[in-house]
Amino acid sequence: MKRSAFAGAMILALSGVSSLAQTSQDLKAAGGTTGDVLVYGMGYSGQRFSPLTQINKENVSRLVPVWAYSLADLQGGEGFPLVKDGVIYVTTHNATVAVDALSGKQIWRVIHEYPPETLRVVCCGIVNRGAAIYEGMIIRALMDDRLVALDSATGKEIWTAKSPDPVTHANGYAMTGAPLIVDGVVIIGVAGAEYSHRGLVEGYDAKTGKHLWRLYTIPAEGEPGSETWEGDSHQTGGGSSWVTGTYDAELDLVYWGIGNPAPWNPRARKGDNLFTNSIFAIRPKTGERVWYYQATPQDPFDYDAVQTPVIATINVDGNPRKIVMQANRSGFLYVLDAKDGRLIAANAYGKVNWADGVDRETGRPLTTDVFKGALEGRTVTVWPSVSGVTNWQHMSFSPQTGMLYINTIHVGMTYQAPEPPKLAPGKPSGAGTVKRTTVTEDPNVRGFLKAVDPLTGKSKWETPYRSPNFSSTMVTASNLVFTGVMTGEFQALDADTGKILWSFQTPSGIVGQPITWERNGKQYVTVMSGIGGVYAQRAGDPNLENLPTGVSLWTFALFDK
Amino acid sequence: MHHLITFACGAGICLASASALLAQDNSSPEAQAKIEAGESVYNNNCENCHGDQLVNTGQTFDLRRLTAGDRARFDNSVRNGKNQMPPWKDVLSNEEIDQVWSYIRSKAYQK
Ligand code: HEC
Repeated sequence: MKRSAFAGAMILALSGVSSLAQTSQDLKAAGGTTGDVLVYGMGYSGQRFSPLTQINKENVSRLVPVWAYSLADLQGGEGFPLVKDGVIYVTTHNATVAVDALSGKQIWRVIHEYPPETLRVVCCGIVNRGAAIYEGMIIRALMDDRLVALDSATGKEIWTAKSPDPVTHANGYAMTGAPLIVDGVVIIGVAGAEYSHRGLVEGYDAKTGKHLWRLYTIPAEGEPGSETWEGDSHQTGGGSSWVTGTYDAELDLVYWGIGNPAPWNPRARKGDNLFTNSIFAIRPKTGERVWYYQATPQDPFDYDAVQTPVIATINVDGNPRKIVMQANRSGFLYVLDAKDGRLIAANAYGKVNWADGVDRETGRPLTTDVFKGALEGRTVTVWPSVSGVTNWQHMSFSPQTGMLYINTIHVGMTYQAPEPPKLAPGKPSGAGTVKRTTVTEDPNVRGFLKAVDPLTGKSKWETPYRSPNFSSTMVTASNLVFTGVMTGEFQALDADTGKILWSFQTPSGIVGQPITWERNGKQYVTVMSGIGGVYAQRAGDPNLENLPTGVSLWTFALFDK
Repeated sequence: MHHLITFACGAGICLASASALLAQDNSSPEAQAKIEAGESVYNNNCENCHGDQLVNTGQTFDLRRLTAGDRARFDNSVRNGKNQMPPWKDVLSNEEIDQVWSYIRSKAYQK
C-alpha cells in the first residue's frame, strides 16, 4: 500500500477506489483529497479548507438534508467527522459509530464506559472532539485517560492503552480531544488545568498502543523554566493540551497549543509560569520540544493558548513564508515562523484591554493597568472574559482569499483574585479561585463571525450573533463559509461579504465541526448538532436557557430536481 | 439559628424545615456566610456543568427548580451521582453539601 502522496491523491480523486489502509502517506495527502476526510481539521495544516466547488453561492439555497442520524446522547456534539470510502466515523463522550455516508444507516456502534467519578475533573463539557484513522483502525481517546483502537470495519477493539501514572482522574486528568497520528505515532493531549494537574502531551505506537514518549508542559523541580514559578507552585501548574494540533511534513514538526496555568488565581505563582499559554513545535517521533512561544506569561484570566495552530504559506513583506497562525483566546492573533517560532505579527482581532499590543522584539504582551490590577487582587473590568475572544472552536483559512474565518466571543468580565487557594493534584483550581461577573456591551450581540486578515487582525466583515458560535468554521473554494449557531441553525455565509446565504434549523444547538466531501460526483456537507460544551454549560448566557438537547449527525447536499 | 441548621443536617425532614427557616431569613449574617461558602463550593465543583449563577442551557439540570421539599432528593443525587452527574460523597463533606444547598436555594425560582 505504499504509494507516493501524489499518486494516492490521484487514485482517490479520480476513481474513489478504496484503499485498504490509511498509511502515513495517505494522511499527508489528506488536505488535497476530496472523497475522504482522513485528518482532524481536514488535513494536517488544520486549514479546514476544501477545494470542492459544486455547492456555490448561486445554488447553496438548494442545500437540503440527505439524512440525519441520532447519537442518542444529551451531552455536547463537538466531534469531527472522519470520512473514508463512503463511511463516516464520529464520536461522543461515550460512543464511537460508523455510519454509511450516503444513506445514514448505522454500520456499527460501540459504547464506552468510564467511571462516573471521572466527570468530577471534566471542566468544560462532557464531550469528545473526534477520532483518528490509521491502517484500518479508528483510534480515539476516552474520558478516563485511555486510548482505544477499533477495527474500522467492525468496531471490534484491537488495542487499548491507559496513560501511565500519574495520569488519573484523581490527579485531575481527563481526555476529551482527538488524537493526531503522524508517521505511526498517536499524539494526544490532556485536560485538567482546572484541577491542579501537571500538563503533558504524549505519543503512542499506533499499531500496538505502546507508550512511546511524554512531554510535560510544566518543568519539574530544577528543570529549565521551573525558576518561573513561585515556590513549588509548578507541581500543580496546569498547562493542559486539550485541543488537537497540526503537522508540517516538510519541517517534520507538530504544532500544539498549551493551556492555562493553575490556579486561575495568579497570586501564588509569581513569574512567567513557563510553559503555560504557549505554542509548542514538537518532533513527532520523539516528543522533543523544538521551539516554543509563550503568549501570555503569568496569566490571571484563563487565556489558554490551546487554539489549533493553523499552518499556511502566505506572503510576508512580498516573500512567501511558511507560518503558523493562532487566534489566541487572549484576543491576539499570532503569526509565527513555522520553522523557528519567530514572531511575525500579533494583533488584536477582538476587544482587548488587558494589553495594548505585543512587543515585536520580546514577543511579550504590553500589559495595561487592568492586568497589573488583577495580579494585585484589585477588582478590574477585563476584555475578553475567561471564555476568550475565541475558545476551542476552530477557525478556517482560505488560501484563495487569504482570510481567516473566526467565530469570536464578545463578552467581558469583572474580575477579582482573592487570597489564593492551596492546591493539591486533582483539587479544583479554576473558576472557584476567582470572583467574576459577566459584562456585555450589548447583551444580544455576544459574538461575531469575522473574516480576519492574519497579518493585521483587521476584519473584512463581521456578522453578529446573539450568542457566540462555538461551532468551528469551514471554507470552500467556492467562497462559502459554513458554521453552526448555538440555537441550532446550520449556515452558509458568503466568504466575501459575510452575508448569510443559507440557514437550516437542526434539532439542537450546534457546537460541532462542519466538513465537506464528495462521492460519485456529488458534494456533501456533514456536521453534528447537539448543544453542550464549555460555553453552553458554564457561561450563564440567558439567551441559551432551556434549549433542546440531543446529539445528531446531519448530511446535506444540493436538491436534485 | 446557626446551631439549629447544623444540628438538622442529619435527617431529611428536619433539613426541610431548616431550609424553610433559611428561606425566611437569608439576611442574617450566618445565613449569608453559609450562602457565600456554598457559592465557593458551587464554583469549584458544580459551576462547570450547572452554569455561572446556575444558568445553563438545560442540558444538565436547572438547579433553580429545586424546591424546599427536594432536600432528600438533592442529598441523594449529589452524594451518589446520576447518569453524567458524578458522585460527590467521598469528595464533599456534609457541611459543604449543606452549604451548596443554601446557595442553590438562595437563587431558587420558588423560595
Ligand atoms: C460533570 C458535570 C456535572 C458536575 C460537575 C455536576 N453535575 Fe449535577 N448534574 C449533571 C447532569 C448531567 C445532571 C442530570 C442528570 C440526569 O438526570 O441525567 C445533573 C443533575 C443534578 C441534580 C439533579 C439530580 C436529580 O435528582 O434529578 C442535582 C441536585 C445536581 N446535579 C447537583 C450538583 C451539585 C451540587 C454539583 C456540585 C457539587 C454538581 N451537580 C456537579 C452534571 C454535573
